Amino acid sequence: MMPDIHQEGQAQTSQWQPEQKAPVILLENVSKTYGKIHALSGVTLALSGGVTGILGLNGAGKSTLFKILMGKLKPSSGQVRLFGTNPWKNPAPYSRVGFVPEGEKMHDWMTAHDFISTFARLNGLTRADAKAEADRVLDFVGLLDVAHKQIGRFSKGMRQRTKIAHALVSDPELIILDEPLQGCDPLARTTIMNVIRELGRMGRTVIVSSHILTEIERITEQIVILHHGRLLALGNLHAIREKMDNIPHRIDIGCDSPKDLAKSVIDIDSVHGISFQNPQKLTVQTRNLGDFHSHLPRTIIDGGHKVDSIDNPDDDLSSILGYLTGGGV
Amino acid sequence: MADSTNTIFRALDRKASAITEFTMRQYRTKISTWVVLITGLVIISLLMLFYVDAMQRDFESVDNDGDSADSDGDLYPDGQERLYGTNPFSELSNPGFFDPPIPPDDPSVWIDEDDFDWNESPTGTRTVSVGYDDDGDCRTDARTSSQKDTNDNGVECDIELSLTLTGEFRYEADSFVDEDPDDEAYAKEALHRASILGIGKLGFVFIISIFIPLFMATGLIRDEMTSGTMHYMLTKPIARTEVFFYRVIGYLGIVWPYLIILTIISALVTGFAGPGDSLFRFSEFGIWLAILFAAMLATLVYGMLFCFLGVMWRYGIILAIPFAAWELGMALLSMGVPESPILRFSVIGWALIIVDSASLIVWPDMSLLIYSGFSVEGSNVDGFEREELIGSEPLQYFFANPGLGDISPFVSMIIATIVLLIQAIALLFIGGAIFKGKEIE
Repeated sequence: MMPDIHQEGQAQTSQWQPEQKAPVILLENVSKTYGKIHALSGVTLALSGGVTGILGLNGAGKSTLFKILMGKLKPSSGQVRLFGTNPWKNPAPYSRVGFVPEGEKMHDWMTAHDFISTFARLNGLTRADAKAEADRVLDFVGLLDVAHKQIGRFSKGMRQRTKIAHALVSDPELIILDEPLQGCDPLARTTIMNVIRELGRMGRTVIVSSHILTEIERITEQIVILHHGRLLALGNLHAIREKMDNIPHRIDIGCDSPKDLAKSVIDIDSVHGISFQNPQKLTVQTRNLGDFHSHLPRTIIDGGHKVDSIDNPDDDLSSILGYLTGGGV
Repeated sequence: MADSTNTIFRALDRKASAITEFTMRQYRTKISTWVVLITGLVIISLLMLFYVDAMQRDFESVDNDGDSADSDGDLYPDGQERLYGTNPFSELSNPGFFDPPIPPDDPSVWIDEDDFDWNESPTGTRTVSVGYDDDGDCRTDARTSSQKDTNDNGVECDIELSLTLTGEFRYEADSFVDEDPDDEAYAKEALHRASILGIGKLGFVFIISIFIPLFMATGLIRDEMTSGTMHYMLTKPIARTEVFFYRVIGYLGIVWPYLIILTIISALVTGFAGPGDSLFRFSEFGIWLAILFAAMLATLVYGMLFCFLGVMWRYGIILAIPFAAWELGMALLSMGVPESPILRFSVIGWALIIVDSASLIVWPDMSLLIYSGFSVEGSNVDGFEREELIGSEPLQYFFANPGLGDISPFVSMIIATIVLLIQAIALLFIGGAIFKGKEIE
């Protein structure tokens, strides 16, 4: 391949004609195996438009699926089409895709603005355009005020938002986010969820993965459930959730004094059980996660509590998976 | 014209300069980069210290022809007696009996009294007559014509230099011509050239050019594949071969200026410390330029190769190390047997051709200098058979003919450059293709 002399963004421009009719994502019977391990087996899926959540436990094959879509991995068998084009060994469709990888590693020595504008030039933008574009996307994710700080000094949520901003350069039609909420504090989660919802409202095709049902629930109802590399369910979460309401949900809150926090938390109506796992962790049980999450921040602030982490363990997804697989998880 | 330049510049100011700039900035933030570059500087500085030390040394003046001795004990050195045609072995025959009597010379007058006076080299089948009998002990009237022309070439008191059909250098001198050269001048000149060639070939073109890519280029793409940050670059609409190419350009953006600085420092040191009457020796500019050029091409080819090995295998450095050992063997081989065909299967063999060709262009009297150091006949002051002049051995070791056969050094240099560029391009395509087919976790 000759270097792209015009540097206009689309490598192999002459060979690549976008197929407008094709679904944004099309997978036909896609499998990926590593020796005897089946990371994905026989996944068939077509997606166009809207926000779709990919749910699955760790190791269910979500990241493998994304990497196959992004041409990072070659499927062992089956057909993959991104805008009607096979993404393996073909970077052409990526001018229309933004990808937020799962990995924590970033170029910590760069400022967010540097990071985004440098890589924006790979989309074929000139230096000046890339800078303007970096400002735009950083504004979109709400990081404009810290744009010129080093990524290494960012909190987890800010790092995730930087990665999202990086993916939004050139306003792609498809945005793939691999576990964007992992490890973020509640405020960052809300911000990121708002960003994702906003992208959905703008008519972009958004695919977001998570292993936490409640997170996905707050973003979209259109879900795909992966389990052990197989596509287990596809469709509206609402229908499934209705049947799941009587299953209690668990929330782990890491804090300095769980007992003090428990006193405040018990006042939230949706809480129906509290237990202490260790001196630094409070476990709350609720039947209404949405309600609980909407009250929790206020409670923490009013009580002046110091909270290190808020985790929704896999329990609820496990229960759905249990429900879907008939107890055979 | 200005418009199109502007357009091309603006066009390249996207992907290519973005990745190149990014790569250079990334290197700057890594401590390992600085450690490697400073280590290289220390190595070259140490070699330069040896060089400066050699240039500061006083070399003992050796009476190469032994004529400062007074064989018959009449206080007249043998050389002086020979000049005046008296018998050096009879104390009753010396210039003191002349009218008017000639006082005896101090023996030191007859040390280093007949230096090389050469300004031509034999080329092809042409034979040249060089040399001048500075001390007059050949030209003296006391000697007959046939005594003055012992090499029988029809010229009195000269040295006949020729090349045999097999390319061997031949040196045939009339007796007492250029027979007691200035040892210090010779040693300094020879060691100066040997040092430039040695430091240039082994220091720059081998050590610096192979170890810097070994540490800096092996991880150029591999490190980011392992850490996962490569995703940020590869999710953009850019072909991986381009990424490979621009990353290597970014690596060169650090390494080439570094080589330029290192070469300038070295050239300044050898220019100021080198032998000669002038304050600064400009004559070695060409050889340093060739060393720099060879090192730049070598770092390009090695960089591509090691980057590719890193992409191919997580532990690519393990493959790079035996390769580096092979290249060391080839570097040493090229100094001994420059025409060996095995050298054509190496990078360094070709890179050193550039340096060797340049040394022939810059120093056309090179073979002359080496062989004259081995050819001076006679015995030293203590009566021992004189060995070669100091400096001739290292110079012979580090100098090699370009080894591409009987072609002009300019052509050799051009061929070597083209071969190295082809190697780089081939590695770019192989590396790009491997990278393209690589699954990235």
